[in-house]
Amino acid sequence: MSTKPKIGIIACSGENLVGGTLSRAAARIVVEKLRPDKTVILCQPLFMAGGLERHGGAEERDFANTHPTITIEGCEEECARIAVDRYSGKPAATIYVEDIINAHPELKPKSKEDLGKDGMKLAEIIAEEIAEKVDELLNQN
Amino acid sequence: MANKKVYIIPCSGIGKVFGSIGREAAYITVNELAKNKSELECLPLVVKGKPEVIDKLKSNKVIVIDGCPLKCSYNDVLEAVGKVDAQFMSTDIVKENRDIKPEQEIIPMGKNAKKLSHKLAEKIAQKIDELLENEEGGEQ
Repeated sequence: MSTKPKIGIIACSGENLVGGTLSRAAARIVVEKLRPDKTVILCQPLFMAGGLERHGGAEERDFANTHPTITIEGCEEECARIAVDRYSGKPAATIYVEDIINAHPELKPKSKEDLGKDGMKLAEIIAEEIAEKVDELLNQN
Repeated sequence: MANKKVYIIPCSGIGKVFGSIGREAAYITVNELAKNKSELECLPLVVKGKPEVIDKLKSNKVIVIDGCPLKCSYNDVLEAVGKVDAQFMSTDIVKENRDIKPEQEIIPMGKNAKKLSHKLAEKIAQKIDELLENEEGGEQ
C-alpha cells in the first residue's frame, strides 16, 4: 500500500509573545484549509518532552524522523527548530514569524490573546508562505 | 500581600480543542481573575532550560494546565524545575460539564469552548488564592 507523502508542521507554541499565537494560527490554517491532505500538525510540547519512554508520545519524533518538517518560530529562541534538530534531525525548512511581521508593518495584531482582524490577516500571510514551502518540499521529493 | 507569584504554564497543544481550552483559561486567569497574582510562562522556554525562567519558577509557585493524558506541561515542568504546585486538566472541566459540548474549531474557538475555559479559569484562580494564602501562612 502506498501512502501520500506528508509534511510535519511544528509551531513554536510559545505563550509570551504574539508571535507564538500567530505561529499556531498559521499552522492551523495550513493543515485545515490550505494543504489539509499534505500536512500534519506535530505537537511541539510533546516533541520536547523528556522521559517520553515513561509517558508515551514518541510518535511525534518518529514522524519527524521519517518525514520532512517545517518549524514555525514565534521568536528568536527558535524552540521548535532546536527541538526537531535535537530529536529527529535537521528540519527541512524554518519560517520566522517575526520576519513576516516586520515585512507587514501595516498589519498590527491586537494582542497575543486575540489576534484581531489584522492579526488574522498576518496569520493567513504566514500560512501562505508555509503552504508554498510545503509544495516546494513535496516537489523536491 | 503575597510577594510570590503564581506562574501558569498551559500545555499549548494545537492538535485538539482541549489544548486551546487550557490556553484560553490561562489567559482569563492572568488577565482577569488573578491579575497581579499570576503570570504566564512559556513551556518551550522551560523545556529549553532557560536559566532565568527556571530560577523564577523555582522561587515562585507553578500551576500547569494540560489538554491530554500525556501531560506534557506537568511532565516537562517537573523535569526542568523539579516541582509543580498544582495541576489541571482541561479534559476534566469538559467531563464535569457534559451539558456544554466544546466545538472542535480552534481558530476561532467556539462559544462553548470559551465557556469551559472560563469555568476552568475560575478553578485555577481559586487555587492561586489557596497557594498564596498557604505561602503567607507558612512565612508567619
